[in-house]
Order: sequence, then structure tokens, then C-alpha cells
Amino acid sequence: MNSRFASQGATLYQTLPEALLSAPPQEAFVTFWESEDDTRSVSFGEMVNLVLAQAAWLREQGLRAGDTVILIMPQSIPLMASFIAAMYLGAVPAILAYPNFKVEPAKYRSGLAGVSTNLKARLVVLDSGFPEGLIEHVVVGDGARLVRYSELAATPFCITPEAGSHPEGVAFIQHSAGTTGLQKGVALSHEAVLRHLARLIGVLRLEPGDRIYSWLPLYHDMGLIACFMLPMVAHVPVVMQSPTSWVMQPATMLRLIADYRCTLSWLPNFSFQFLARRVDREERAAFDLSCVRALINCSEPVRASSMDEFLDAFSACGVRSEMLQASYAMAETVFAVTQTKLYDHELPCRVWVNSEVLRKQHRAVPVSADDPAAVCYVSSGQCLPQTQVRIVSAKGQHLPDGDVGEIIIHSDAMLNGYYNRPDLTDQALKEGWYWSGDLGFVWDGEVYVVGRKKDLIIVAGENIYPHDIEEIVSSHPAIHDGRVVAFGLYNPRLGTEDIVVVAELRGKVIPENTFPIEQELRNSIVGALGVVPRHILLKPANWVVKSTAGKPARSATREKALSENKELQEYKQEPALQ
Amino acid sequence: MSEPAERIIDFILREIVRRPGVQIDVDTPLVSSGLIDSLALVEILHQVAEVTNLRIPAGKVQARDMDTVRLMLATAARVGKPRQ
Repeated sequence: MNSRFASQGATLYQTLPEALLSAPPQEAFVTFWESEDDTRSVSFGEMVNLVLAQAAWLREQGLRAGDTVILIMPQSIPLMASFIAAMYLGAVPAILAYPNFKVEPAKYRSGLAGVSTNLKARLVVLDSGFPEGLIEHVVVGDGARLVRYSELAATPFCITPEAGSHPEGVAFIQHSAGTTGLQKGVALSHEAVLRHLARLIGVLRLEPGDRIYSWLPLYHDMGLIACFMLPMVAHVPVVMQSPTSWVMQPATMLRLIADYRCTLSWLPNFSFQFLARRVDREERAAFDLSCVRALINCSEPVRASSMDEFLDAFSACGVRSEMLQASYAMAETVFAVTQTKLYDHELPCRVWVNSEVLRKQHRAVPVSADDPAAVCYVSSGQCLPQTQVRIVSAKGQHLPDGDVGEIIIHSDAMLNGYYNRPDLTDQALKEGWYWSGDLGFVWDGEVYVVGRKKDLIIVAGENIYPHDIEEIVSSHPAIHDGRVVAFGLYNPRLGTEDIVVVAELRGKVIPENTFPIEQELRNSIVGALGVVPRHILLKPANWVVKSTAGKPARSATREKALSENKELQEYKQEPALQ
Repeated sequence: MSEPAERIIDFILREIVRRPGVQIDVDTPLVSSGLIDSLALVEILHQVAEVTNLRIPAGKVQARDMDTVRLMLATAARVGKPRQ
């Protein structure tokens, strides 16, 4: 193995920009595919020049070491350069999602004002093509300034980083989910990110011949850490396209992997099924995917059926079962907690357990695959080095192998805290352990994730808080304020969760045609959150199940909706823990 | 309404929306209104290509170009190429 790929290599650097500056300048870094006739590539050396030019510009705009800066730019090479440039100055960048045409201006305004205030951002950088209709709605916090980015000539500037960038300092902030008050910025230090990447390089056995492919957004940990920071620090190339271009033409992913001979990629579970169902059989024949070492299923619960469907669809293209791997990851631990083995022709382990015992006694008891009560779980792999997982009961007791409980994690590469939110940090980090809110069990040293304790909906890899949806729906004049429940149901046709909303109407009589109200609610939800609820169930007063405290009870309302609504019959039910 | 528009609307209602009581016309916003999810656009784009008998390079099409049936047909006419 080349010495620079030794798993401790990444920790030779003090800060992330140092890793870029140490890269061989002539070697390829990012290839960004926009369309059939528009691809841009930069070497490591060219990226350094872009970063230095961008750092000089950001400094001119008043950015200094220790300041935070919000970047709202389309997925692109300039966005990557700006991100590193901010760190180069010792400032702390945070990438926020670029508004798409679905976004409703007023909702965008309140979301951005909230984040900007919480981050106490010095600068908010928008690109020159930022939608005109939204500009007037961009409100920034006190002391922040809005600036428009335009791409500068990549002239090397003599600019040196200011004192202030140090290994323990916050390198950047990632936002894992939420809008309004729930938005949490995960603050990660240079040291934690570099330490984590060193381990990931070792576990993945990254080699100089590796090349990463990604369509993942850079505001998401999988896109940012695995597909941008990892190749930058390991000095391997990455081929990217934007999430929107991938959704419109999923086959481009396969073409880019085949043409550039990419070896590694990370994908949320739904995309395995999406590719299998949306790429024509005739089209598939053109792709030779035998170059791939691993397609890693991550950021949504891993489903055996999605993996199997992908394998069936693409085995003729050279996809072999051992290429389909899995990982359990989150922004709070920089990225991966676990990773399945990518070598020795091993597949992720699968266990079939008795669903009834799992549901009622919270224990995974293995049964044969053809047992009528069997439910299959795919392992997310073993812990990364220097990373520990424990399964604990609600009271915090350490549970034995096979028992289902909350997954808590300890490593020396975790978040510094939620930025400016000591209250949330105290809730999540206890005595050095991060309480993930995910439920799982450990079997033979392998971690299996089975569900969530916290009410989070994951749609196509994106985290959505039910509370955000409920707040939007509650504000509609026809809806009884506070009598709304949103939850996710796994849709096996899509390989991801669908959003279901149950809401009580005001007044005693339900109108015959509730479609206009439903449509208004859909409009508001998509305008604020960019996601579409699959079902909106409008109900008469007192339908939503309430807790003893008088608040809507999500899981009980979910069960009631499932048993009483024909339209929810299509959902294959999985054991919900009682 | 033109025959291609009718066929696309019929496809969207039957295959994508799949809910009774929904009515759409050529100018109904689909994605921006939350009526359909952008993940469904790739299927609709196939249907537009089928109905118009054109080859539509998906790389030239953005989600906003597909927000109404009228926009879809205009996009097909703008970027579509005759099938060989």
C-alpha cells in the first residue's frame, strides 16, 4: 500500500486545508458533470488556486478567523472552493441547501433568518444566479452581511491563513435536519474530522487507484464527508453530479461510474431501488460496472429487498453481491460509526428474527428465513477503530447481545457540540456518549439498526422532523390547531418512507370534497420543506389519539390510521416496538 | 386540449397521483404544488417522450421545466430530437 494511504496518514495534517495543500498538484481531484456537453474538471493544484482566490475575496468581504459563514450556492466546484477557502482563513463555513423552484419565499425567509441568527454568521454568500424572487426574502441575523459570489479568475493570490485555525477549533458546521427552531448545527473540529477520515481510509482500504462517484448533496454528511472531505484528504479523485441531475436521469450515475472507472460510492437505500426500476433494461447493457469495489448503502435503514432488486437488475453489468455494502453513519460522529467489510468477498450479514418477540419483548431471536414470523435485518457492519457502540435500555442500562435498545456511541472523533445550543448538546452527549435516538441490537459484533426512538422521518436519505410538518399543517385555518400528527411509513415500492399526515378539521361537518384543503396543505409543506406528503387524512374532531397530557400521541395515532384507512393498506408493516 | 396533453394527464393521474377526486389541467402546477414528487419526473419524462415521439435528453431538462403539462410539451418541443 502506498505510504500516503496508511490509515494514520490523514492525521499528519493539523487542519483540513493542509491536506489539500499537500496533495500532488497535477493529479485529478474533482470532475463535475453538468450535462452531456458540460463537464468541468480540476486537479488538486487547480483547486488550491481557486481556494486561494476565494479566500482573498472572502477576506475582502470582512471574513476573519473565528467568524461563521453560510454558503448558499448550487452544488458545484466553486461551492467546494468557497468551503475550503473559509476554513483556510480560520473561519467556520456551513453549507445550506440551495433553494429549488418549489420553495415558498416566506417559509424560506423564516428558516434562513433562524439559522443565520443561531450561527451568528458574519457573511451569507449567495451565488450570482440565486433566484431573484427570493433575494428580497433573504433575511440575515444581526451583524451579518449578504454578499453575492461571482466566479473569479483562478489567479494564485499570496494569502496566508490567519492565526486562529487550530486542530481543536471548529472546522465547519453541518445541519442534520429540521427548519425553524429545530435546526441543529453539528460543529466538528479539524482534529475530529481528520482522525475519523484516517480510520475510514483504513477500513475502506483506500488505494491510489480508487475513484469515488457521488450525486449526494454537500450539505449532507454523506456528500460532504465521504464524497468531498475523504477524497480531498486521501488525495483520490471524485466524479460528481448534482442530486437534481441524477433524479432526472438516474442512468447517468451508471454511465459516469463505467466511463471514469469509479470504485466507491455511497447511496441511500431508496436509490438502489430507484435505479433498478428507472433505468431501462435495454439501457443497462451499455454499462460495465465491474470496476466497482463497493456501493455503500447508508443514511436510511438498509433493506435486503432493495439490495437484492439492484443486484438482479445489474448483475449483467458486472455487479456482484459483495459490492453491495452498508454503513451506519451520522453527522454527530463525523460520519461512519460502522462499516461492513469491503474485502474477502464478504456480504453484509443478514439475520432473520422473530418479529413478534422483537415487537413485544424487544429481543432479536433468530429464526429460519422461511418462518412465517421472520423479519430480515441487514447488518450495518462492525464499529470503526476507536469507536464503541452500546445498546442501552430507556434507563440507560447496558443491554446484552440480541436485546433491542437505543444505540449510544463513543469515539474520539465526535461533534464538539451543537453550535450555540448547549441545551441540545447536553441532551445528546452524556459522559462522552452520544445518544443517537436510533434503536438497534448487536449480534456477533455486528450492529443492526431496526428503527428509531425519536420521531424522525427519513425520505430518500433526508431527515425530516414530524414537528416541522405538524406546525405547517396546524397553521391552516381549516385545521384544528395542534390536532395534527405526521409520521413515516416504509413504502416497499420506493425503498424509502412516505410521509402521512393525519389532521383534524375544525367544525362539526366534514366537507364532501376535501381535495382543495389537502392541496393547500401539500402546497405549504412542499414550499417550506421541499418534500411531498403521500397521504393527507382529514378527520373529524377528536379523531387524533391524545396522550394523558392531552397532546397528540404519534405512535397511537399511526396505529389507528393504519387499521382504519384503506389507503394505507399498501404499506408492508414492520414490527413497531411496543 | 391536444391529444398529447390528454395522454400525459391521463398517465399522471393513473400512474403517479393514484388518488380519486384529483383533477388536473395543462396549467396545474404539479411539483411546486406538492401534487407529485420530483422522483416521479423521470417516469413522466419517459411518457412525454413516448407521446411526442421525440428523444428528450434528460440532461437538458430541469424539474422546473416539468411543473405543468404545458411546460412539459414546450420543453419537449425545445430540446427534443426526432427518434432515429
